[in-house]
Amino acid sequence: MAKVQVNNVVVLDNPSPFYNPFQFEITFECIEDLSEDLEWKIIYVGSAESEEYDQVLDSVLVGPVPAGRHMFVFQADAPNPGLIPDADAVGVTVVLITCTYRGQEFIRVGYYVNNEYTETELRENPPVKPDFSKLQRNILASNPRVTRFHINWEDNTEKLEDAESSNPNLQSLLATDALPSASKGWSTSENSLNVMLESHMDCM
Amino acid sequence: MKLLKPTWVNHNGKPIFSVDIHPDGTKFATGGQGQDSGKVVIWNMSPVLQEDDEKDENIPKMLCQMDNHLACVNCVRWSNSGMYLASGGDDKLIMVWKRATYIGPSTVFGSSGKLANVEQWRCVSILRSHSGDVMDVAWSPHDAWLASCSVDNTVVIWNAVKFPEILATLRGHSGLVKGLTWDPVGKYIASQADDRSLKVWRTLDWQLETSITKPFDECGGTTHVLRLSWSPDGHYLVSAHAMNNSGPTAQIIEREGWKTNMDFVGHRKAVTVVKFNPKIFKKKQKNGSSAKPSCPYCCCAVGSKDRSLSVWLTCLKRPLVVIHELFDKSIMDISWTLNGLGILVCSMDGSVAFLDFSQDELGDPLSEEEKSRIHQSTYGKSLAIMTEAQLSTAVIENPEMLKYQRRQQQQQLDQKSATARETGSAASVTSVVNGESLEDIRKNLLKKQVETRTADGRRRITPLCIAQLDTGDFSTAFFNSIPLSGSLAGTMLSSHSSPQLLPLDSSTPNSFGASKPSIEPMAAAGARPAGDSVSKDSVNATSTPAASSPSVLTTPSKIEPMKAFDSRFTERSKATPAAPALASVAPTAVERLKEQNLVKELRPRDLLESSSDSDEKVPVAKPSSLSKRKLELEVETVEKKKKGRPRKDSRLMPVSLSVQSPAALTAEKDAMCLSVPTPALKLPMPGPQRAFTLQVSSDPSMYIEVENEVTAVGGVKLSRLKCNREGKEWETVLTSRILTAAGSCDVVCVACEKRMLSVFSSCGRRLLPPILLPSPISTLHCTGFYVMALTAAATLSVWDVHRQVVVVKEESLHSILAGSDMTVSQILLTQHGIPVMNLSDGKAYCFNPSLSTWNLVSDKQDSLAQCADFRSSLPPQEAMLCSGPLAIVQGRASTSGRQAARLFSVPHVVQQETTLAYLESQVAAALTLQSSHEYRHWLLLYTRYLVNEGPAEEGTAEGVAASHWAEPPLPAPLHRVSGTA
Repeated sequence: MAKVQVNNVVVLDNPSPFYNPFQFEITFECIEDLSEDLEWKIIYVGSAESEEYDQVLDSVLVGPVPAGRHMFVFQADAPNPGLIPDADAVGVTVVLITCTYRGQEFIRVGYYVNNEYTETELRENPPVKPDFSKLQRNILASNPRVTRFHINWEDNTEKLEDAESSNPNLQSLLATDALPSASKGWSTSENSLNVMLESHMDCM
Repeated sequence: MKLLKPTWVNHNGKPIFSVDIHPDGTKFATGGQGQDSGKVVIWNMSPVLQEDDEKDENIPKMLCQMDNHLACVNCVRWSNSGMYLASGGDDKLIMVWKRATYIGPSTVFGSSGKLANVEQWRCVSILRSHSGDVMDVAWSPHDAWLASCSVDNTVVIWNAVKFPEILATLRGHSGLVKGLTWDPVGKYIASQADDRSLKVWRTLDWQLETSITKPFDECGGTTHVLRLSWSPDGHYLVSAHAMNNSGPTAQIIEREGWKTNMDFVGHRKAVTVVKFNPKIFKKKQKNGSSAKPSCPYCCCAVGSKDRSLSVWLTCLKRPLVVIHELFDKSIMDISWTLNGLGILVCSMDGSVAFLDFSQDELGDPLSEEEKSRIHQSTYGKSLAIMTEAQLSTAVIENPEMLKYQRRQQQQQLDQKSATARETGSAASVTSVVNGESLEDIRKNLLKKQVETRTADGRRRITPLCIAQLDTGDFSTAFFNSIPLSGSLAGTMLSSHSSPQLLPLDSSTPNSFGASKPSIEPMAAAGARPAGDSVSKDSVNATSTPAASSPSVLTTPSKIEPMKAFDSRFTERSKATPAAPALASVAPTAVERLKEQNLVKELRPRDLLESSSDSDEKVPVAKPSSLSKRKLELEVETVEKKKKGRPRKDSRLMPVSLSVQSPAALTAEKDAMCLSVPTPALKLPMPGPQRAFTLQVSSDPSMYIEVENEVTAVGGVKLSRLKCNREGKEWETVLTSRILTAAGSCDVVCVACEKRMLSVFSSCGRRLLPPILLPSPISTLHCTGFYVMALTAAATLSVWDVHRQVVVVKEESLHSILAGSDMTVSQILLTQHGIPVMNLSDGKAYCFNPSLSTWNLVSDKQDSLAQCADFRSSLPPQEAMLCSGPLAIVQGRASTSGRQAARLFSVPHVVQQETTLAYLESQVAAALTLQSSHEYRHWLLLYTRYLVNEGPAEEGTAEGVAASHWAEPPLPAPLHRVSGTA
């Protein structure tokens, strides 16, 4: 049986300019402690025609998840306009929130998204090259499309944690003024972004 | 008799396999096939009983539905108390449901609000043991046990007081077990299986009492269920499908000697279900007739594959009533109301029928007292036949009853503590809510929620727990009462967005969904003339009232072609099931470059277009990423900084550990960032947090949870400390707020406000009265029984709480932090209670308690380390495998040092000298740190080096021998090494 039920998804900051990050407040319920993290993804469908243009806006691990009702806000950057076909920039598309456990997708929440120019002039004469900064994104929050999938929730294949990762005696202290390390920190975030880009590159 | 088929009781046409009426008669449950899962539905009984209620729109018919079973549900059974519902299905599971008692209906997310659950039933236990479909479940009298049977040929007895404990697995059937019934007196349980046998088991030792096969010899094993039943007086057990002279019967088995002389005959096909009326009846005393007391009798309903139902009275030779063609398909289950006058029957055809009898037809039901008197006169005093009230005062006549009374007492205790716990946790929830309304919490959720990075750099959010499940009762009804529609989004928005956005949010939802789809194409919409005022900024534009009219008309046109997206909603994406593409870093480097270029191209344009957001959008460009994350937690930033330090990442496990460990730890670390001005050392203090969790170790799994200001007792706020070690939990409360916590496998300590430090043993015993620290805490640390406290005034103390001695007494960090802008980057407490400080300048000092000195144990800039080359002396296998405090402190430095040494050309003699000096210092450092393993490692290396390189002066070797070999506990191998030297 499904150990995790999504109770609600609230679309925050909606409608908003195209470049604003997506924000979803997700409430879910878990009937048993989960031994692994949940992985949530926001996928932006760039074009109705093909999955090719799907962008994984972000993927985030959520955990630890004990039994109970939980909520979190999933924020992800706006889609990369460079990956959206010009013809599909304005109009209706879809954003999907998926959740996977142990690599198995068990729920998919889809919303229609309408991107349109807020200025009448642009609306009447849309530029050939879409001007994303003038676009407003409106998510049809009142009508989520929820699809649930059956997956295997059990811990049949228990894998052992790396044994060497248990030295609790050391805590690192950080230098507040350590600017170089700070910049390194940002490079990590870059990496994760790259990973993200790669994963949707895979789709292409 | 009245007959009713409530059509609204259905599983959308799917078969209903089981039905059971709640003991209080207000509701009933059905189980069967759902859309693509098993389905359990709880229905309101009153619309079945009362026509008015059926018509009343305000009276809900469906109370709750649960789609949690993965496959068809074969059986649903209420416990006798009515508190629980057990369901068993083809997914091999038994789920036990309990009603959650918070108010307000909830909807199933995404189900367009129609399937509102009026009642909340939650799965409190999942019972896993069967290796095949679960066919039937049955609660024992007084709900002490729950039995389940399965096509895996077994019957499992679960301890209903302590799920999921299994008391016994009854093996003996050689075919699919398809029905169960408890003896109403609690001495036996009977099961019927496809192996053409009916077995009776004793509850005393869970052994087989008897196996009855004769009436089943001719049976073919084709009935879906074989639900047998025991008469309420305990005299008769009636089987499902049996054969007598090649005719289908329900076999009556007498308790006395398990004789099989009688049967119910008449059904044309196999009997699937037999169900006794829970009441015992006696003939109605008619006025005027002779007052001859008639023998009490029982009533039994029999359902069959022939789609007909018969109702029998044990005092009559013929059935009381037979109803043919009641359903289109086989009858699957029968349930009597507790008053014995109503009966619900369900069928494979997916419908349910209700039969309502009058007392004239059935007779006068005996009261519970009379019933139990019959039981007692027949069986003596026994557990199951006594009412609760009688039991507590009854004279104990057998061990079973003694056990029962003890269990009752225990249960009462449990319940008390449970209610105590529940009120406690409820208080914790409400305090969260009171201190800060849920709306506030939600408003700040994004900022408040803890986000960390995993070792591979991925974002990890620790979700905010807003209700606990284990109590079964949610105190927070917030989300249940909130509809899913846009109104919520609206309220959320209004709380989030600036006032100028408000008009927008009333107009745009309409524009999107409300109006009918029109054929108007997109382009036409764009060309539509509109008298809107045009403003430049997008936000302003939408806030103008004019924005509403065109958008209302244009948007719907685009909804129609959205069919194209349908598959996206329902099909798993190809990318999703696979693990994220972490592996393919190298080949994608080119693409990444492309990506960056692309982004660069885009950037100037974005900026030109004057949107303040454009900068934030660019994913890869460095400066933008800074602003992009501006909103997020500072904690995250800290986390990243830490991750960014290349040296420690791979070498020092605690770093990665801390990444796993939840939020608070990082926050704590945040607080530990020491920036030390020269004259007066002042270390940062951890600020009070509402709650945090700290993982102490992963093997054994142990973590500490702290919740501040949990409950207020007479105006005093209490803080709760909870420690979970491999599932075992203890908790305690403290009077002041907990600032930081630390733990080891032996002790847990917390530092509170008012400079109090409390120490507990790993099992929750307070080891000491609170220690008063000289100044507020900065960092707290535990290893074994050693507790280290670093105060804000930069003094360090270490205590051995086991032996209750001080190891380091208020030692100032002045001497090591004397430098201008030095900070403590790492802190370590060895197993022997020796504190080690790693400073930002790469030096590491340990405090030597016996000499009361700070000793330099590592220096990254040490030229000795840079030049030392002892690779030749390293044993081939164990190249730097040595681990310990010294290795942790020094990190990879030694490796890089060796590499550097190879690059520089250093005169051989100098190299020898530096190497020797380095090795000497390593040996000494290991010794000071009392790290025997490392000491041995370095001493071995040193000795090997002496032997291999053969330094000129003999004195050194002798010195080594003199000073080190004489050290008391020398490992045996060392003697061998010295021998070869």
